[in-house]
Amino acid sequence: MRAKRLSIVLLVSLLVLGITTLGLAQEKILVFGNSGDVARLDPADVTDGESISRMDNIFEGLVEYEAGSTEIKPCLAESWDISEDGKEIVFHLRKGVKFHDGTDFNADAVVFSFERQYNPEHPYHQYGEWSYWGYMFSDIDRVEKIDDYTVKLVLSEPNASIMTSLAMFTACIVSPANAEKYKEDAFRHPCGTGPFKFVEWVKDDHITLEANENYWRERPKIDKLIFRVIPDPSARLLALEVGEIHGMEYPNPADFDRIKANPDLVLMSEPGMNIGYMAMNTGYGYVDANKNGVKDPDEPLEKTPGYFEPLTKKKVRQAINMAIDKEAIVRDIYMGTASVAKNGMPPFMLGYNDEIEDYPYDPEKAKELLAEAGYPDGFEVTLHVMPVSRPYMFDPPKIGEAIQSYLAAVGIKVNFYQVDWATYLQETEAGMHQMCLLGWTGDNGDPDNFLNVLYGLNACSIGTAGNYAFYTNEENQELLTKALRTYDVEKRAEYYKKAQELIHEDAGWVFLAHSNQNMVFRKNVEGFVLHPTSRMFFYPVDIK
Amino acid sequence: MDKESVGSELLRRFKYNKSAVFGLIIMLFMIFCAIAANFIAPNDPYPSPPLLANKLKPGFWSDEGAPGMPLGSDGLGRCVLSRIIYGTRVSLTAGFVAVAIAMILGITFGVLSGYFGGWIDAVIMRIVDIMFAFPALLLAIVIVAVVGQGLEKAMIAIGIVYSPQMARIIRSSVLYIKEMEYIEVQKAIGSSHWRIIFRHILPNSIAPVVVYGTLMLATAILDCAALGFLGLGAQPPTPEWGAMLADSYSFIVSGAWWAATFPGIAILLSVLGLNLLGDGLRDVLDPRLKQ
Repeated sequence: MRAKRLSIVLLVSLLVLGITTLGLAQEKILVFGNSGDVARLDPADVTDGESISRMDNIFEGLVEYEAGSTEIKPCLAESWDISEDGKEIVFHLRKGVKFHDGTDFNADAVVFSFERQYNPEHPYHQYGEWSYWGYMFSDIDRVEKIDDYTVKLVLSEPNASIMTSLAMFTACIVSPANAEKYKEDAFRHPCGTGPFKFVEWVKDDHITLEANENYWRERPKIDKLIFRVIPDPSARLLALEVGEIHGMEYPNPADFDRIKANPDLVLMSEPGMNIGYMAMNTGYGYVDANKNGVKDPDEPLEKTPGYFEPLTKKKVRQAINMAIDKEAIVRDIYMGTASVAKNGMPPFMLGYNDEIEDYPYDPEKAKELLAEAGYPDGFEVTLHVMPVSRPYMFDPPKIGEAIQSYLAAVGIKVNFYQVDWATYLQETEAGMHQMCLLGWTGDNGDPDNFLNVLYGLNACSIGTAGNYAFYTNEENQELLTKALRTYDVEKRAEYYKKAQELIHEDAGWVFLAHSNQNMVFRKNVEGFVLHPTSRMFFYPVDIK
Repeated sequence: MDKESVGSELLRRFKYNKSAVFGLIIMLFMIFCAIAANFIAPNDPYPSPPLLANKLKPGFWSDEGAPGMPLGSDGLGRCVLSRIIYGTRVSLTAGFVAVAIAMILGITFGVLSGYFGGWIDAVIMRIVDIMFAFPALLLAIVIVAVVGQGLEKAMIAIGIVYSPQMARIIRSSVLYIKEMEYIEVQKAIGSSHWRIIFRHILPNSIAPVVVYGTLMLATAILDCAALGFLGLGAQPPTPEWGAMLADSYSFIVSGAWWAATFPGIAILLSVLGLNLLGDGLRDVLDPRLKQ
């Protein structure tokens, strides 16, 4: 009797074991640990890296980046022709591609995806903010269908960065049928042509994708891709160590030794396309009344709410640059996971001016400059300190404290100001800060996406500023605009080099560091390639 | 019994309460650290410019320790021991100010409520009930969110949050005392309300205030550290224990346990000391325990 019962138990457990191992062998599930949840799942209506990382696997654009670089190659468009004057681009679309909902990818879908962003009359325009259109695509006048598999893109001005911009998430093609089905809720039901199909989104917990069996290239090697939200980096690492997840973003630099010592884990690290800086409000901005992203003659300069007399003086700003030991900050707070920045964009980009000599760390000279500017005894200033870690700035409160301590040595008393992240961005975009910590991760690998967006006069619009120093040099903006309108690479580079000289001389920023981007995977995960824009493409990834 | 013998009787009973004496010693030691921080701290708690190269060095137990930093250094290369010593100043001040605010508000409203009764009592006690409905720390966070961050504001917030407790305690003793015969006598001979309150009721209801004030000091220090931990209390570079913990706990996983552990121990010891002292005082001052 007992023997019989035992044998039944054994049989059942063997069966269960067999089924589960069989199941594991059949389905390859990759779980990735993210630091935060997505905001929306409409590629044209997000600005944050978390949202983008999921959609990189669901959607595709006309062109896409080569693995690990910002060179572009054909994707949903097989080829394209650019007109002589650079104002018209004709795309020949790939045939036989289907959206996840089974409808055909064609010229109508392309026109739909773009037109809803720029045309206020479009019935689907009301369902989004489309903020990136204003940042990067406003030179596109219209997108026209020529036939079912040919579209024409018409620019109002020549734009040298437009092709790389088209590989951005904003220019991804969405299914019009899906948009029609879900209307204002479409951002919860993403539907593209990419290697993975959307399955479910449980807010603040996970997003599940599954392999697209009808993908126009080879089917992806993994069957399921799950993005799990684990906000604390230490908790994320623990989950990775026990194999609960297969990969994670933003490991804590203090844990690097521990990761390297673990034979099951692989730390991937590469220079990132980003800049972390401290901006000093130089005092003036403009109100962009017609919202065209350009400072027009009828939009005069006016004082920003955070106007602060000492920071309007160039010598004071230069003194602050000299009072901060960036080398030490990079070495000891970034813990060597970054390189010291002297310009406002990373060194591997077109037009980077390597001849610029960075301000040395020289507190004595800084004191002299302060005295010359009329502040021999220093002053008291408020610093906005970011409440969150971003890829371009690891641990802002510590960096803020270090800066506070460096500036105290030259007589400048720094008061901390911390608010929640949404308010932080609102206040700094409105110029309410005196000094602030911030940064930028590049979107498309084009220098315009750094220099014009962060340091140009046009970006000094109070309320939507990207130029947080409110650096209103007209000569600088002229150079940046000329560069954007020039297709000749050599000439463009020259303009950008000159602009960086001006930006350096006027010292509106203390450029701190270009952070590496770091990711950790378990050893059996193969094929992941870090992308300079921090985007995450899981298509080539496999689990061994 | 004359006054002196009452005092010596209390002292005698206090001395026999070992844990209370231990609490008192911790308390006195903290006060000493707070006053003499400048002299006994081995290093500047926030050197300027910072000595980043010294970051996360272990203390006396290791050969790789930074010289002159017995408890090691934190993520910005600052001496943990010196910061804890200066932090005593911050925490004690915060605790005392918060309790003082709680006492002023609590005594005022408690006495009004208990002595006059009627609708004044009803109104004040309903407000107290409402405030009791919120968890103390949550209410403090709300107040800080409204008035802004900073140590001073955190103290005020904690003071306000604790005042209802104080009001309740005072009110119950006032209710008891005002029925006593000597109060009846005062009323009969026509003393004013103010004279009765200040000369007779307050002095007689002060014992529970002292006891609860001491216990409250402990929780006030703890809550102040909690607000600091959440980044709502003391602002950098002020060496506040809670903020020190928040700065350093992420280093524990990577092995630099000291930067977060010692401020934690400091919080633990001070709260423990004050609780022991408070309990001891209650035992001593409670007439029911008299043999």
